[in-house]
Amino acid sequence: MNKINVKRYGAFLLVLLMGFSIALTGCGAKITSSDAKATGGTIENSAVSFEFWSAPNPTQDKFWKGMAEEYMKQNPNVKIKVSSIPEKPSSEAAIQAAIAAKSAPAASENIMRSFAATLYQSKAIVPLNKIDGWDKLVETRKMADSVKPWKLSDGNQYVMPIYNNAMQFGWRMDLLKEAGITEVPKTYSQVIEAGKKIKAKYPDKFLWASQDLGRADDWWTRWFDFLMLYDAATGGKTDFIEGTKLVADDKAALEVLTFLSELQKNNLLLPSQATDPFETGLGAFATVGPWSLPTWKEKYPDLLSNVELTLPPVPDSVNPADSKTFADAKGIVIYASVPEEQQKAAWEFIKWVFSNPDNDLKWLQETNLPPARDDTATNPAFKDFFDQNPALKKFAEAIPNSIPPMDNDKIVDLQTIMGREGVVPVVNGQKDPETAWKDMKKALQDALAK
Amino acid sequence: MKDKSITIKGWLFASPYLIYTVVFFLIPVIGALFLTVTDWNMMSPDIKFVNLDNFISAVKSPEVQAAFIVSYKFMAIILPTTLILSVGQAMLINSLPKYKNVFLVGYFLPYLASGVAIALVIKGVLAYNSVVNVWLRSIGIAIDWFNHPIFTPLVIAFMITWKFSAYYILIIISGLESIPKEIYEAAKIDGAKSWTTFWKITVPMLYPALYTIVILTSGWMFSIFGEPYLLSRGGPGYGTYTWQLSIYFNAFQRLSAGYASAVAIIAAIVTFASVLIIKRLARGWGRKYGWE
Repeated sequence: MNKINVKRYGAFLLVLLMGFSIALTGCGAKITSSDAKATGGTIENSAVSFEFWSAPNPTQDKFWKGMAEEYMKQNPNVKIKVSSIPEKPSSEAAIQAAIAAKSAPAASENIMRSFAATLYQSKAIVPLNKIDGWDKLVETRKMADSVKPWKLSDGNQYVMPIYNNAMQFGWRMDLLKEAGITEVPKTYSQVIEAGKKIKAKYPDKFLWASQDLGRADDWWTRWFDFLMLYDAATGGKTDFIEGTKLVADDKAALEVLTFLSELQKNNLLLPSQATDPFETGLGAFATVGPWSLPTWKEKYPDLLSNVELTLPPVPDSVNPADSKTFADAKGIVIYASVPEEQQKAAWEFIKWVFSNPDNDLKWLQETNLPPARDDTATNPAFKDFFDQNPALKKFAEAIPNSIPPMDNDKIVDLQTIMGREGVVPVVNGQKDPETAWKDMKKALQDALAK
Repeated sequence: MKDKSITIKGWLFASPYLIYTVVFFLIPVIGALFLTVTDWNMMSPDIKFVNLDNFISAVKSPEVQAAFIVSYKFMAIILPTTLILSVGQAMLINSLPKYKNVFLVGYFLPYLASGVAIALVIKGVLAYNSVVNVWLRSIGIAIDWFNHPIFTPLVIAFMITWKFSAYYILIIISGLESIPKEIYEAAKIDGAKSWTTFWKITVPMLYPALYTIVILTSGWMFSIFGEPYLLSRGGPGYGTYTWQLSIYFNAFQRLSAGYASAVAIIAAIVTFASVLIIKRLARGWGRKYGWE
């Protein structure tokens, strides 16, 4: 009797373990070409199948699903599974986890230059310029200049840039006019002067109201304040960090911090949590990306007609026409961990999508993100779209004046340091610009030397 | 033979929990311990062993030092306020002649509310341009709630206290209901006032409930994440920077799995040691009243 019990319970335990294992295996399920052949059904005849991860953004996901569907119609032997990159805790962490678990897709978008550097140093992505057809695609898509900044330190091209948001500063023209200013301020002294006039007219308002100014651990916010102003102050001539070296122009960096300090001393900054500060007119000046426009259209339909988009202001000694800005740009990579046959299939798909300007137009229509092409502002294929969306044309026109993020894999540490040692203490009036720049420079050099 | 059968049955019944523990606790802990001695980013095929460097850098880093202090800072605010609030509210509900359960459910609701939703509401209510702040400024009080060295931790502490006291009310109520009425009657006959009754009867008799709350709350102070992440990102400075924020930023933003694991191990040791000390102190207090 006891033996029977042992057997019965043993069987129960085995079933339990098996169920558990199956459940766990299911979590990491992934389509491969061999699975495709074995599972039959819709993918029975697929010669190759691969996964593509789109950005965790419904419009981008929709675009890629549509493209994959069309491509599969024309290439019935290819099966593409498009899904969004899991956003939690972050798309980079999701990709990291997938690579660690050996379940990375064949290709994914939403890759910025710095994360590409991390992936490259981890030998996780393949150089696209070594795959047949790269040069032809660069020529067909007219992106010779746009791809240049994406070259990584070994001289190879690991990322195919998709879009480039040349960030702008927006001015509330209604507030400026009410304060007696008719033209958008372009230099630091003009900006401070405008701020003082707005403050005199509306003591409760600020020139620049943004919680991001006071946050150090949101490392990416430095792209939209310090680095945007730095790119403008140097006219794009001197990078801030090049590879693993701090090559920043001391004069320009100090001028940017002094500008922020002057704004703070004149009570023109509000680094606090406020609901839609620019949209509600609490602040007159803000960083604007193309993603803001659909929200404005929906929530603040009259706002756009009151806003003038410009490149960042420059120090008084710099010609405003030389102003540059930060490029919030992202692209596609192909992962090294998938079989070569999937890499090739993914590349063919990418080539197919970007060889046709109509697909870039479709991308622009669906996502509002300007394609990373040299001719985005001038190509007749996009003319009608930009005629109907003139604000977006500003972003497209600024693409040649935009500087992408640094290609250092320590970007999070470095930009956190910029916030902790430089921007945040200056904005809160805790450090003078000279001390802030000295501390920031030293901390950056120490971090880069590690 | 019978003993053997019983043993097997025991293992079988315990097996779901054991399997769960092995898969979701033991294996990850071993993995984390391995990561702590490497600088591996979990993607590179090259793994460099760095011995105890991750622990040394973590101990020296201002963010870990801040997390250490911030946990105790939150404990100093949240533990007494949670105890006072939950005991006070529970006594109030317990003294109601009727509809006790309706109030109990009402007070329990904050515990069921999503932490993210609460944080977003607080963010809106205390925003610079909210009605509350516009009114406060009109009477000369200007507070930057999310960028202030004193008010930001207080806002976060308030949110946690509000949520958890809702849950602890249930524990206290069950403790209050287990105190025999005769003891109160005897005290009344002896002429004890309500203040004396509260300190000499209610509080000591609530020891098991209070002990549970003290231990749960103390442990929770080392796991705070959502509130500071959503409201202050650990700021201003490192004023609300918690262990979990440090682990999150290092693991998922800096992608430094080894360093984040080292911080997690240090956090676990600090949590364990702190809870152990608090447990001993609480037991010592209980022994004074004859518990245990």
